[in-house]
Amino acid sequence: MDLKELLSQFKNDLKNISSLENLEAVRLSYAGKKGALAKMLKDIANLSAEEKKTLGKKINEAKQEIQEKIAEAQGGLAGKKSALPMDKFLKTLPGKKPVTGHLHIISQAISEIVEIFKPLGFTRARYPEIDWEYFAFEALNIPSTHPARDEWETFFIDAPVDKKFGRQVITPHTSNGQVREMLKGNLPIRMLNISRCGRRQEDASHLQTFFQFEGLAIDKGVSITHLKGTLEYFVKNFFGPKRKIRLRPYDFRFTEPSFEVDINCDLCGGAGCKFCKGGWVELGGAGMVHPNVLKAGGIDPNVYTGFAFGWGIERVYMMKGGIKIDDIRHLVNNDLRFLEQF
Amino acid sequence: MNILIPHNWLKDYIKTSASAQDISRFLSLHAFSVEKTTEVPRLASLSRDENDYIFEIEITPNRGDALSVLGIARELRAILPMQGIAADWVAKANDKQSSVQEKYDLKVEIKDKSLVPRFSAVILEDIQIKDSPDFMKQRLEAVGTRALNNVIDITNYLMFDKGQPMHAFDYDKILGAKMLVRESKKGEKLITLDGMERTLPEGVIVIEDGESRLIDLCGIMGAKNSEVDENTKRVLLFVQVYDPVKIRRSSMALGHRTEAALRFEKGIDFDGVVPALWEAVALMEKYADAKVVSKLIDILNVKYEPKKVAVDYGKINRVAGVEINKETVDKILQDLGFVFDGGSVIVPSWRYDDIDLAEDLAEEVVRLYGYDKLPDKLLAGEIPQQVADPVFKLEDSARSYLKHQGFFECYTNSATNQNLAGENAIEIANPLTEDFAFLKTSLLPQLLAVLEKNQGYSDKVKIFELASVYLAKKGDLPEQPMRLGLAVRGAGYPEFKGEIEGLLEELGVSIDFDIKEFGDTILAAELDFKKISHSPRRTKTYAPISSFNSIKEDLTFIMPENRDIRYHEISEAIMSADKRIKKLQFKDIYQNFLTLSIEYLDAAKQISSEQTQEIRKKIFEQLEKKLGVKLKV
Repeated sequence: MDLKELLSQFKNDLKNISSLENLEAVRLSYAGKKGALAKMLKDIANLSAEEKKTLGKKINEAKQEIQEKIAEAQGGLAGKKSALPMDKFLKTLPGKKPVTGHLHIISQAISEIVEIFKPLGFTRARYPEIDWEYFAFEALNIPSTHPARDEWETFFIDAPVDKKFGRQVITPHTSNGQVREMLKGNLPIRMLNISRCGRRQEDASHLQTFFQFEGLAIDKGVSITHLKGTLEYFVKNFFGPKRKIRLRPYDFRFTEPSFEVDINCDLCGGAGCKFCKGGWVELGGAGMVHPNVLKAGGIDPNVYTGFAFGWGIERVYMMKGGIKIDDIRHLVNNDLRFLEQF
Repeated sequence: MNILIPHNWLKDYIKTSASAQDISRFLSLHAFSVEKTTEVPRLASLSRDENDYIFEIEITPNRGDALSVLGIARELRAILPMQGIAADWVAKANDKQSSVQEKYDLKVEIKDKSLVPRFSAVILEDIQIKDSPDFMKQRLEAVGTRALNNVIDITNYLMFDKGQPMHAFDYDKILGAKMLVRESKKGEKLITLDGMERTLPEGVIVIEDGESRLIDLCGIMGAKNSEVDENTKRVLLFVQVYDPVKIRRSSMALGHRTEAALRFEKGIDFDGVVPALWEAVALMEKYADAKVVSKLIDILNVKYEPKKVAVDYGKINRVAGVEINKETVDKILQDLGFVFDGGSVIVPSWRYDDIDLAEDLAEEVVRLYGYDKLPDKLLAGEIPQQVADPVFKLEDSARSYLKHQGFFECYTNSATNQNLAGENAIEIANPLTEDFAFLKTSLLPQLLAVLEKNQGYSDKVKIFELASVYLAKKGDLPEQPMRLGLAVRGAGYPEFKGEIEGLLEELGVSIDFDIKEFGDTILAAELDFKKISHSPRRTKTYAPISSFNSIKEDLTFIMPENRDIRYHEISEAIMSADKRIKKLQFKDIYQNFLTLSIEYLDAAKQISSEQTQEIRKKIFEQLEKKLGVKLKV
């Protein structure tokens, strides 16, 4: 058989191949160690050097062609290997996933919140959880006669009283960071303080320790319009583009004016239902920084104004659609069957 | 504090075309949140055809002046016109003082003037105790108070109507016609009108009569021994202003939060006392046939001076962020009861405690103008100076790494019980529960408790927490360093150790850590995150990639059984044997057979197997000489 014939026979064989196993058999019969080409090479051993050279070259070229064609066919057959039913079944089994753990829902919420405020220029900060009464109250324009100062709201630490700063408390809000941030003396300020707080209260919607995130912006010319815009931006990014806010008058000692911020109810879309008040749900407090607080932070209230808001991380996250946690205490129970859901 | 206001009752004060729904909505947006609007059948004696509504309104703590029908009506008088709805004031001030016949008197002694800033009273006789008129009974019922008799009902009615709590004593039961106002001594007792015997703490405002009997738990509830009953003929009508802080603390300490106490503790309109008293007298004359038989007793223990605040139009606009014209500002302030005096306003007496600064006036103006009318803007201006602390990024990296190694993140409480908190733990002075009484000094005890609790979850459990611990510091706030606590059950020592090493590598730092073993299955470690964030981080620099190939091989050594050896001694011995040893890795250990992977590379030329043989020989020499470690043949 000459080379030409061999090649055309090979091409014919190739057409009828339906599996990689068959292909391998074909490859061996032509290009294998004991295949047709090897035999041909052996046959030309007795020819003259000149002839050996030309024929040998042709045989090698043919071998190369065959190998290329085989490789090509291999590519085409790659998917057809598992013709067997068991092979097919194996591919329907679930993959072997690497074992991964779970971040706590509070960490996830914090990341989300930080990412939303970052493009607005708010820098994350953290202030002491155990702080002086001064920073938690006095500096915030909350005099010692205010109800929030009574023992049944705030945890006090069993430690000596400081002449200047008073008792040590578990700060009941992140606002203790306001004056501490101002005293650093860097203006303007855009701070996002995320810290742990504590209050003497525990039930399905209150934890003795909880996290708050506190926004504080101080600059020349900051007005209620900026507070509204910032919160609207947050709400749309955090809860969804269809959500919007409204401000209602409220009273906090450390802001003037003070607001309660409402978000439109996602269950009724704002029409009013039994889960909301006339289409609105309370989100949290906010306000324009009280001039006495600016003064306590060494800032001239006639030059600078600012806004602040401080909301519970857990509370805000649980208001997101779809999370449906009925009891906030799950968050610190650390039952892995709970944690694995997030 | 929430109050109930019947729509109908508001009509005593203002005439308006605003519907109940309008009132509810506009009050919420411009003053107080109307939590609920309930439709109720009309009160037969009052309205003609339509049903009535009762508003449940949340009054903020600074607005004691609004805890009444009058207070809400005053707000509406200012709010509704801003919405284009007329609201005409139809109430007439009761300035008629009854003709006074001075037959009786009361001796008053006040121990400490600050207890009672204003003490007013008048004596009435010929009282006919009977049922109140229907309208009064129905209105009291609508706001959740049971009607008793005409005299008591009138005092309650005026509390809801004007926000001024008042009390009626049976004058003949005030022995010696004498009152001594003082603070209680600890342990004193009295029986209040509800029949409860109450043991008083120190410092509660009380009244003692001429026979040293306690006859009033001031501002909270009257005493049984001086109550008005069906035989009462003479009444002492008693209208006061008390120290609000004292009332709140006493009422909280006694666990007795009455409607009166809730109003007294939020402050009383100083100028409203006497008009309210005469209003009550008028009602008693009309519905109880009473006659005034004493002069008006009105003791002013503080000097009340009208307060003036400058109106700063520029500031109002700066706070609002839009321009609100002078005309609008003036109208809003006037409608709220402020009286212009040059460039300032005189604060209405009922807002005395609440309004001090230009900012306070700005709030009044902007809330009535409407927060919803202000545009939404983002901050502009200078670039803020703050730079984020890199620790937050490191914390995020640590969390993310551990999550992907199969760890569950936990959050435990900052405080726990004494056992779990650790030694020298800081104590909370007023804990709510024993399980939250001491601040933790280590993360591990609570994490081990979490492992214990989740026994049934899986054979292998890995958890971590990134949180502060609290370490007492003399004369200062506690140190509150961030720690990273890790705890595993069912994972091997090398696995756990490797995960921590991997974490530190991921964070680019190298610090020492200890692994603690608890029983056979639990391992834990606590890393100081501050140390991590403060230690020098490996900077990533490029080292040229060699164009020569390295040679890798595994070698197994026999560890001598009776010699105390540390792994780093072995690795140092090997690495110092020749500088062409590029990398050394621990591969396996079986019994005392230690297998290591070694990589050889010559940066200058291709390394040959002859050369590696030569290096290997040096390794064997080093190991054997220094540590007695031999190659396994």
